[in-house]
Amino acid sequence: MTLANSNETLHRKREQSALSALNWVAVRPYMMIFPAIIVFTLFFLYPIGYMIYLSFHDWNFVSPDKDYVGFSNFTALLQDAKFQQVLRNTFMYSFATVSLTISISLLLALWLNKKGAMYGFVQGAIFSPHIISLVSISMLWMWIMDTDYGLLNWFLNLFGISNIPWLTDPKTSLLSLIIVAVWKGIGYYTLIFIAGLQSIPKDIYEAAALDDTSKVRTFFKLTLPMLSPTLFFLTIIGLIGSFQVFETISIMTKGGPINSTNTIVYYIYENGFRFFKIGYASTAGVILLLVVGVFTIIYFKLLSRKVHYQS
Amino acid sequence: MKRNPIWMVVNGIGLVLLICIFALPFVWMISTSFKTLGETMTFPPKWIPNQLLWENFSKAWNSGPFLKYLMNSTIVSVGILILQFATIIPAAYAFARYRFKGSNFFFGVTMITLMIPTQLIFLPVYLQMSSWGLLDTLWALILPFASSAFGIFLLRQSFKQVPEELLEAARLDQASEWKIIMKIMVPMAKPVLITFGMFSFIAHWNDYFWPLVMTTTDASRTLPLGITKLREVDGGVAWNILMAGNLILVIPILFIFFFAQRQIIRAFIYTGVK
Amino acid sequence: MAEIRLVNIVKKFDEDTVVNNLNLTIEDGSFTVIVGPSGCGKSTTLRMIAGLETPTSGEIWIGDECVTNMEPGKRNIAMVFQNYALYPTMTVRKNIEFGLVNKKVQKAERDSLIQEISDIVGLTDHLDKKPHQLSGGQRQRVALARAMVKKPKVFILDEPLSNLDAKLRGQMRRELIQLHKRLGTTFVYVTHDQVEAMSMGDQIILLDKGVTQQMDSPMNMYHDPNNVFTAEFIGTPPMNILERGHLNAVLPTLFEDVKYVGFKPEHAEIIAGSEERQDHVVLKSEILTTETLGAETIYTVSNAAGMMNVKRFDTPIEETNDVQIAIPYEKLYFFDGQEERIRFIEIDRTAPQQPKPVLVGGV
Repeated sequence: MTLANSNETLHRKREQSALSALNWVAVRPYMMIFPAIIVFTLFFLYPIGYMIYLSFHDWNFVSPDKDYVGFSNFTALLQDAKFQQVLRNTFMYSFATVSLTISISLLLALWLNKKGAMYGFVQGAIFSPHIISLVSISMLWMWIMDTDYGLLNWFLNLFGISNIPWLTDPKTSLLSLIIVAVWKGIGYYTLIFIAGLQSIPKDIYEAAALDDTSKVRTFFKLTLPMLSPTLFFLTIIGLIGSFQVFETISIMTKGGPINSTNTIVYYIYENGFRFFKIGYASTAGVILLLVVGVFTIIYFKLLSRKVHYQS
Repeated sequence: MKRNPIWMVVNGIGLVLLICIFALPFVWMISTSFKTLGETMTFPPKWIPNQLLWENFSKAWNSGPFLKYLMNSTIVSVGILILQFATIIPAAYAFARYRFKGSNFFFGVTMITLMIPTQLIFLPVYLQMSSWGLLDTLWALILPFASSAFGIFLLRQSFKQVPEELLEAARLDQASEWKIIMKIMVPMAKPVLITFGMFSFIAHWNDYFWPLVMTTTDASRTLPLGITKLREVDGGVAWNILMAGNLILVIPILFIFFFAQRQIIRAFIYTGVK
Repeated sequence: MAEIRLVNIVKKFDEDTVVNNLNLTIEDGSFTVIVGPSGCGKSTTLRMIAGLETPTSGEIWIGDECVTNMEPGKRNIAMVFQNYALYPTMTVRKNIEFGLVNKKVQKAERDSLIQEISDIVGLTDHLDKKPHQLSGGQRQRVALARAMVKKPKVFILDEPLSNLDAKLRGQMRRELIQLHKRLGTTFVYVTHDQVEAMSMGDQIILLDKGVTQQMDSPMNMYHDPNNVFTAEFIGTPPMNILERGHLNAVLPTLFEDVKYVGFKPEHAEIIAGSEERQDHVVLKSEILTTETLGAETIYTVSNAAGMMNVKRFDTPIEETNDVQIAIPYEKLYFFDGQEERIRFIEIDRTAPQQPKPVLVGGV
């Protein structure tokens, strides 16, 4: 091969590689996000669309036909007394759980936000339920709340309170689930509040002390406003999480007795998997989606307004 | 500062009570798991059983294919973790470091996914898995979680904090993009990756809902589901066997928690706050 | 050969033109300092040479190779960054080695290179430490070692001393000069600090708003500025620039269209009494502040022409604030309406005398 020749091929090669390099650079970002986006599309976005589609149809899972029924699933569902109770249960459960958890953990955070091995240990102890499987938590509490041999009733007996049928009485069943949820959630919430408290700059407390501000006033005028982003975050995340409660109900009460603990995800599960009312179940899913969506939007709206406290 | 002795005693009693509220249920669980069935039905309850009945554990273990459950749980949790790392690292890098057409759109898709709880979409995903013939396989438990919007979000934040100069230095050192990711970005984001990994592993190890929906036979059931089946042993509820089974599920997590408490707490707080 | 040539370089970020039609030649083996105020385009220029930015138009040549679109890693350039950009998760050794591994240099050769370089910069004892365990000066050395080990054709340094304290900065400045002598490689150094530029460079390129103001040796830069910008940028304190309109009463008749008149602070004399001076601009002034720096004293004075600095090496004046300052005619610099220098000028000395041409400025 002559020199001129090899030079020319070299030149061409360089041009080609420059071209493919250019394409590669342009394509590379898409290749890198592709696997993740595929997973999201197949298992999150498409299912949402499919669920909305199904909510306008009547289908029993077995028959080949899905009959378009318009909004009739929605109207039927909202007029259904059982579903109304399910919604009521869900909201009762969520608001009670979140408000109790937040107020108790805020107090605990103020108390436990101290240095030292003892406080570290206590923080670890109250946090531990958060990483335990809900299956075990549920079974443990079923046992503790057992009417005849449970630890809880034995403890109440010490104070002269007679046995309470926690999980088997519709009057106390929802409350029992709330107690379990609060017990499980307190540690996590407390530690987040402590993290929030620690991010408040010390100098504003020093300034307040120099101004001879009382402790109560310091809390309401400084600490609480500074914690408000954390407070909003926990409230919304807590509500969204509670709306989806399933495990404790499925294991401890199966929605009973007489629907007193039936909440929306359990209702969807029952309708889909036991009664094969796919359209009906999907409609309930869409309603939950709307509720979660509204709270998410509220969260971001509040966040954008309150964000200045953090900077 | 309030340093008077009465206050300190009150404070101490408070702390002990607090620990009791959270620790006693677990102590109760352990105590029950060593009791005879008869001992579980005494009232007032006994805290310390007459003898340690170790056979409760083997009874629980042998009441079902627990080795299979354990293997399934491990395959699912570890498999999800590996796939998540494989998909979130490149995606987070692309979102953090490249400017490309549609990046905002695709990141928006990711953020919307982040908002969608899995409890909400199990029904359509179930139907989908059924049409693909993947129901009652481990694939149905792994694939939907093969990536994590949350992980991408966290990791992107952390990749964004790496100064541009560092990447430029690496490019001048003739490092390929792949090498930049593996040798510079990933080591720098190690705390976040560990945090996310622990979070993800614990969540999927403990998961009950998804396997409940997607599986129908023991071949693909995981440990949490297997444990719930202990309730059906011998008709009535044998609390001692049930608690022994639950202890099998809880011990590994408590064990990890004992040694990596600080890190796990940081993981959950961090992932919660951000 | 590693002469660097920038030909008609333009760089725009969206609509902002950061570098505007820049032409410059950086000689092989020179220590060239690109200096200018922040936002003048000096870092962008440097980054275009390194390949971290691509020019909007124009060409960059290193030696006889056009590198305008070449990847940064392929240009045989090493860069020292302002914040050092050390890989925080790697030890000093791994930091230095990283580029060599990427170039597929054999292990044995890598080890001997690292040994050699770490001896030169004095890092031998720190090779197994991580960057966060090192002091600022040591990190600086790692950054240098990482650059040197690649034996590049060109060294590029982007404000490498700005994160060091004053004392260490002086020391590193001298070390860099020695290093340049020893290696004989082209150094391109960017700074906003004119003292650094003057003390280190053998060629200085002064940029403002993406345009070259002057490209010259340090001494020429100082004694023979091309325009008001250069005059006001170089020197501590820099040249005093006064509007000619304020000086008409004390200036001799000028035949050119002079808009600004300048003088260096060290060329003015301070007269406490009421002496007369021939062939001097004499201004009745008030001393506002006196900064005594030991060897020298810097006065800020105010007079009919405005505020100005005077630098003297004799004992500070303490007895009075009312003084006269006198600047010899031949030490005056003149600039036109475009702020460009007027180098040769005739002045009409006091009326009865014959006009006598005098060369002013640029001694």
